[in-house]
Amino acid sequence: MQKYLLSRLLQAVLILFGVLVLVFFMVRIAGDPVNLMVPREASEEYREEFRNMMGFNRPLLVQLADFMGGALVGDFGNSLHFKEPAMPMVVHRLPATLELAGAGMIMAIVVAIPLGLIGGFRPGTWIDSLGRFLGLLGQSTPSFWLALLMIFFFAVDLGWFPSFGRDSIKSIILPGFVMGFGGMGALVRLTRSATMEIRGEDYIRTARSKGLLPKTIYIKHVLRNVLIPLVSVIGVSFGYSLGGSIYIETIFAWPGMGQLVQQAIGWRDYPLIQAIAVFTSVVVVLMSLLTDVAYAFIDPRIRYND
Amino acid sequence: MLSFKRYWIAFIVAIAGMLALVACAPTTVIETVVVTEKEEVIVTQEVEVVKEVEVVKEVAPPEMPVGTLTVALSTFPNSLDPPQTAERNATNASQTMFDGLMWVNDDGGLDNALAESVELSEDGLTYTFHLRKDVTFHNGDPLTADDVVFTYDRGLNGGFEYSYLFERAKSWTKVDDYTVEMTTEAPDPLFLRMMATTLIQPAGYHAEVGEEAFVAHPIGTGPFMLVEWEKGDHITLAANPNYWQEGYPKVENLIFRPIPESATRVAAIQTGEVDIVQRLSSEEAQSLLGATNVQVIRYPVDRVYYIAFNNLTSGLDQPTMDPNVRLAMNYAVDVDAIIDALFDGFATPAVGFVTPGNLGFDNADPFGYDPDKALTLLADAGYPDGFEMDFACPAGAYTNFEQVCEAVQGYLREVGIETNLDLMESGQYWDLEATKALPPIFGDSWSSTLGESINRLEGALGGWDASYSAWSDPVIDDFMAQINTEMDTQARADLYGELQVYMRENPPFIYLYSPNAFEAINSRVQDYRPRSAEDYNLFYTWVAGE
Amino acid sequence: MTDLAPEMNPERGTGLQVDEERGWRARLAYGRKLLQRDKSGVIGLTIFIVLVLTAVFAPQIAPHDPEQQNLRMAKTPPAWTAEGTWEFPLGTDNLGRDLLSRIIFGTRVSLAVGFLGVLIAGSLGMLVGAIAGFVGGRVDNIIMGGINLILALPYLLFVVVIASILGRSLINVILIFGFTDMPIFARVTRGEVLRIRESGYVESAISVGAGRWRILFDHILPNLIGPLITVATFEMSGMIFYEAGLGFLGLSVPPSVPSWGNMLSAGRKYLTTSPWIAAFPGFAIMITSLSMNLLGDWLRDVMDPRLRRTER
Repeated sequence: MQKYLLSRLLQAVLILFGVLVLVFFMVRIAGDPVNLMVPREASEEYREEFRNMMGFNRPLLVQLADFMGGALVGDFGNSLHFKEPAMPMVVHRLPATLELAGAGMIMAIVVAIPLGLIGGFRPGTWIDSLGRFLGLLGQSTPSFWLALLMIFFFAVDLGWFPSFGRDSIKSIILPGFVMGFGGMGALVRLTRSATMEIRGEDYIRTARSKGLLPKTIYIKHVLRNVLIPLVSVIGVSFGYSLGGSIYIETIFAWPGMGQLVQQAIGWRDYPLIQAIAVFTSVVVVLMSLLTDVAYAFIDPRIRYND
Repeated sequence: MLSFKRYWIAFIVAIAGMLALVACAPTTVIETVVVTEKEEVIVTQEVEVVKEVEVVKEVAPPEMPVGTLTVALSTFPNSLDPPQTAERNATNASQTMFDGLMWVNDDGGLDNALAESVELSEDGLTYTFHLRKDVTFHNGDPLTADDVVFTYDRGLNGGFEYSYLFERAKSWTKVDDYTVEMTTEAPDPLFLRMMATTLIQPAGYHAEVGEEAFVAHPIGTGPFMLVEWEKGDHITLAANPNYWQEGYPKVENLIFRPIPESATRVAAIQTGEVDIVQRLSSEEAQSLLGATNVQVIRYPVDRVYYIAFNNLTSGLDQPTMDPNVRLAMNYAVDVDAIIDALFDGFATPAVGFVTPGNLGFDNADPFGYDPDKALTLLADAGYPDGFEMDFACPAGAYTNFEQVCEAVQGYLREVGIETNLDLMESGQYWDLEATKALPPIFGDSWSSTLGESINRLEGALGGWDASYSAWSDPVIDDFMAQINTEMDTQARADLYGELQVYMRENPPFIYLYSPNAFEAINSRVQDYRPRSAEDYNLFYTWVAGE
Repeated sequence: MTDLAPEMNPERGTGLQVDEERGWRARLAYGRKLLQRDKSGVIGLTIFIVLVLTAVFAPQIAPHDPEQQNLRMAKTPPAWTAEGTWEFPLGTDNLGRDLLSRIIFGTRVSLAVGFLGVLIAGSLGMLVGAIAGFVGGRVDNIIMGGINLILALPYLLFVVVIASILGRSLINVILIFGFTDMPIFARVTRGEVLRIRESGYVESAISVGAGRWRILFDHILPNLIGPLITVATFEMSGMIFYEAGLGFLGLSVPPSVPSWGNMLSAGRKYLTTSPWIAAFPGFAIMITSLSMNLLGDWLRDVMDPRLRRTER
């Protein structure tokens, strides 16, 4: 067990090192950021001065070493547009995004698990069709489109919820729903197939044929079987929530990281983009590390693999 | 918002339809949408014209600041520190906390603000500013000459992007506590206007708390004081009780809410969550006409959109070096149709680089759409079958500009000029524009906040000396040099006029249009007066019914 | 594209058990039976075929040039409304371009992104995964380290950043999807190669003296095709879907190119006044994505005997 955890940890560190190198070079293929960041009327001297200030004129390897050194202590320089240290800005946005991702996850779970369970028990019924259909619909509906519809119907026409911002508990309902709607599909399918799988297991079948299995135990078996993949799905879907939040946070003016991504890209704010990319990668890698550990605890088989 | 209810129904029906699809019932989704569509259109067609609502004042403005005014911004202010604000929204938010020595009033004229009086020396090089003695910063410190000197020192030496703006002054010295003397290299007719945009910051407070704390929580002499700034969410300000303009401001709490998506701004003004929304498209403004308690405002913006020609690099051996070809291209584009289709008619065709509100505007007729004349001119120039050329425009930077460029491409095609339009992400675009690496024709726009066009002219036509220019013409250079040093307003106006005539005969651009800005306000908002430079003052704005 | 990641996780999900005795004929027969029982596969397949035909014959089907503007006819509503005209069956957009023709030509962009993206991702992934699975040892470790690295990144975030750096063009979009999606295919391939390699009959093939390449072509590749096609269908649907997302951020193909993402994104400015401009491309995306997911589900059932039982 310990050996497994250690090797996973080492892997995580290596991955993060790779991310840093990748992020450094990814941003450099764009060419010279100087022309964009200085105002149109600026003189050539100012451009040169700016290039010096940012260190863009040093040899690439020196820049890389500098970048890595800074990254280790969380220093990605100042955001060019917002004139303040980039990493703290990103960290500051984390709670809002976690809140949104969490709300989306809860919404998805509340809808998807019952639908998946019922669908798995009674495949082919109308509830099963509904579950599968909602799942497919969630995967096929562009979130920005759904978000705008939600705002105009629930905020403007009905006046039930605020149309934007993160002011009260009511504020999270609409963006949380849109976030959850997209993730629902995977959950419905997962629960459904796990349910069906356990139904088909020999020991359950035998037990059932002998009339030995009360519904409660049955559900307990199923739930445990569902729980294991569910843990991993939560870990993975956080990474996707971050992607989806770019759209949802922009439309709902939700002050999270997705919104920051949109602005950083709009202003071509290199240090900020780098800080966001590294930070989100760290969060995702940590999440997946944690889910692996949780997995190892829930599912003893893992310990003996690798 | 009937249309949206309909749409929602359509959506539900569509969901039901797809449900049926999965359950294999033969229902087609498209048809359900169809039905709602029919009624939809009737709704939109009822509203034809944007009416400019007369603001009816039911009661007099309050004596004391009362109520809360919430303003939606279309971007996230990057900073509230005056020399560091990067764009209009940030400047506008910052401007509520600060004052300059001068002030551009709502008629576009210059008034004294923190300066009680200004004297200009005989040679036109030395300005003496006498400061008001009754002004304090938000922390209670009185405004003195030291603060003005500090503002200039910081602006020039602070390492800011806009430091070069302060190079306009040659020197600034404190004469006594309430007198500052500034000099310029040469007579500068626009120097005082620059003073209006230079907001005075407190030397004492800055020294006390340091650069970082000042940037995080700046204070000034302005009508509102910063209470809280939650990045990405809101900026909260409160009325300054000791504001030097007696009886102002009129609202107690001022809140800025950044909402980047314009459709969300349209929703938020209808729900009453915000009182002022800016930067709407004409379509969005139109959709708000039926909404209760919402007024739509429209005003012309001091910005010219154009397709520029290049005679410095990529355009050198191209047909566009011939002025007749450039004239032909101006006649080939139906600017009126573009304005009708993309701006619902709410834009003014450009007749040059001097806009209607600018000094020296000569009110000439636009070129007009005349494809036959264009074809004749092209044939005379030796291109009866047209030619092929690269064309670039920035994407995502300006309202509908991608579509404008596509339309221009379509019109040029009709007179035989086949263009390869490259719509580039704006950052990359301006990179190339700065290195003069764009194709022979490229689209852009230029605004002006000075009430005059000289910056716009220099920026777009300054040749190799200007970062974003791809055009050089000695005649134009000569005009610009004269305008820059001519202190007499009428003489300057005449120079602008002559230059415009020249620029129409030898067009360095395909002139497109000056747009209108659309905003919407809650009808309780009174005395909100945005200007053509897309800025506004909020100290006299008030909310009724509080 | 891996919003469906967990159950697509190749090491758990689509694993094809070697099913030599059944063979392709049996599989096809089973597919037909499945089609009869579960009609959603038929629907998915039919819509998909219609889409492909539409894309191929777009110039013949479309009533207008999709880029032909007619500003004087801008924002004409669909034909069945009072203001509409059958000249533009679905109405026109804000530049007076025929929406129906743009949607028809949009299938080309969407399918090009999907097909070519999957082609690049699939070939690269197969190559990389096969090398990792076959050579094993240190090479495998290094390759899988890299694959895990890419899979660890917040996928969409990186796609958006790269798209913003490279600028808008169809080729860039395809390349971005092709490269960023490669790891999924590499993992599936490697998993299958390992599974098949370790199964008994490869060992027996080796014992009878069959060469490596023979084993690869005779035993491993045929077994790979099933799971890869299934994954490819889902990934294609994902690419088409995310192209729309890039379009919304103004990072997809240039605006004049009729892509559904661009149309949807441009149309949202007219949501309240001319909703049809955004509605039709939106439905096009939804129906395409839906049909490809249905098709993928069905393919998975057909291709993967092990999963038949659980009917994922």
